[in-house]
Amino acid sequence: MKVKVCMGSNCTLLGAMNLLDQIESLRELIEENSLEYKDEELEIESIKCLGYCKTTDANIAPVVIVDEDVIFNATGQIVMEKIMDKMRI
Amino acid sequence: MKESYVDLINIRRKVFVEIAKMAYEDTDLNELEKAAYNIIPGEVAKYRENIFRERAVVEERLRLTMGLNVRSMSEFTRVTEGIDEVNVDETKFIPDLVNVITFACEACPTRALKVTDNCRKCLAHPCTNVCPVNAVSIGKDRAIIDQDKCIKCGRCKEACPYSAIVEYQRPCAAVCGVNAIESDHLGRAKINQEKCVSCGRCIIQCPFGAIADKSQIYQLVKALKTKKNMYAMIAPSFIGQFGALTTPEQIVEGIKRLGFKDVVEVSLGADITTLHEAKEFLQKVPNEIPFMGTSCCNSWALMVKNKFPEQYEYISDSASPMVETAKYIKKNDPDAIITFIGPCISKKLEALREDVKDFVHFVITFEELMGMFVAKNIELSEIEISKEIQDASTLGRGYSVAGGVAEAVKKTAQLLDPSREINVESASNLADCVKLMFQAKAGRKNGYLLEGMACPGGCIAGPGTLASTTRVKKAVEEFKNKAPYKTPLDNELIDDELKNK
Repeated sequence: MKVKVCMGSNCTLLGAMNLLDQIESLRELIEENSLEYKDEELEIESIKCLGYCKTTDANIAPVVIVDEDVIFNATGQIVMEKIMDKMRI
Repeated sequence: MKESYVDLINIRRKVFVEIAKMAYEDTDLNELEKAAYNIIPGEVAKYRENIFRERAVVEERLRLTMGLNVRSMSEFTRVTEGIDEVNVDETKFIPDLVNVITFACEACPTRALKVTDNCRKCLAHPCTNVCPVNAVSIGKDRAIIDQDKCIKCGRCKEACPYSAIVEYQRPCAAVCGVNAIESDHLGRAKINQEKCVSCGRCIIQCPFGAIADKSQIYQLVKALKTKKNMYAMIAPSFIGQFGALTTPEQIVEGIKRLGFKDVVEVSLGADITTLHEAKEFLQKVPNEIPFMGTSCCNSWALMVKNKFPEQYEYISDSASPMVETAKYIKKNDPDAIITFIGPCISKKLEALREDVKDFVHFVITFEELMGMFVAKNIELSEIEISKEIQDASTLGRGYSVAGGVAEAVKKTAQLLDPSREINVESASNLADCVKLMFQAKAGRKNGYLLEGMACPGGCIAGPGTLASTTRVKKAVEEFKNKAPYKTPLDNELIDDELKNK
């Protein structure tokens, strides 16, 4: 599974690094209970600004992409739940 | 920063962006009346019980960020009241630095031990048996603590087998190492400014975002627009603060794009401070003074000055890295107007000192700087730059992590005089700093070099940071190893005279 965290200026201002820390912390949870989760690597990547927020006036930062799913206004609880649900067997 | 306070952090930072934008775009300041609607849009409350209060709190934050005082709620005052005074291109400090936004404060009860419904009214009831003032009795549903009798020793809490007794404390007061948080007539937090040393811990710990400091970003941006000789110096903990993909070089280049002529690492000043303090220690301890305290953390130095006035002379006379860096810049350009960018809010006060104010003209935090980057649409990770930063030594770059200052001074002193054994002890939160000073005052730290820092873990945990301490600590370590010099004695930017014994 691949998770991308946008590190553009706007996303960084609104907590992208904290999201990254939170997502990375899931690896530990998954390892501790490895039998309950798929034997699939949780790939986490910081990416440069994708420009979403520059095309709209709406506030959409921070942006996180879980596989093909683009999440606007990403929060730790929403992103982590999504990842955990997808990883669970 | 407290990363898990996501909404509070975001509101605070959106306010910085809003004010920086107004400054860059020369917006008519009457627009401040509308600004809260940009930050809290719509008509449904998201953070508090109603959107009117949310906006009212944001308006106070806008005022504080402009450098103005919080309004009194008992009389009609416009958001823009007093705005002309701060609509300038130089620092305009209106005391106090750290402020309670009174109507954002929820008047949390003060410290107490409370019985929760975990209590099973057990037969053994050790809570009653261990209480030294007979304040605990067993009530109808659970144990009851007589708050008038309770001396808050916490023994009942320790004794309970069901973890049914909790110690409750106001978050602001719990983190204040100098007991500066008091209550006003409505039970709301009130800062005793005589005791406060502006470490900023209450600002980041309040779960209602009711405490905030003043900012200088508006005046700084105005200065950047009108003045030519603007220099920035950036504190050692800047590494890793501005996004996981952003390199230190990109940060420096980004700062230049804000309108600064040049950027210097404060680690260079740290190298100079190290040399001064190492020589001072070798010369004075133990003959002239029994021990020496480091001088770089302003809150620590203020705490010693307030609480241990007789020992204040044992704090090193050396100027802080901020001041030394500014002096270095001034030497090369006497007309320089200098901005310190760091994790710290206490530096905002240090810069106002009579002996500092001619060197350091503005102080902003990393958070405030990030607001400026966003206001100016600067994408740091996309900046192309190859020039390396080479201002400081490995030891200087280590100043931001607890223990780093003492290590630098000790190693350098031993290079200057290998025969000397030097004991060091560090404390990195104000409560521990106070304890350390009590021991030192009692003569138990004679011969020691004492490193005091107000933030837990050092400057990397400062209130104005953006990244977690684990992330920054790792990044600082990498950056240290890339330093062109090992110790301040190798630093070619520093006069040889200072390196001689």
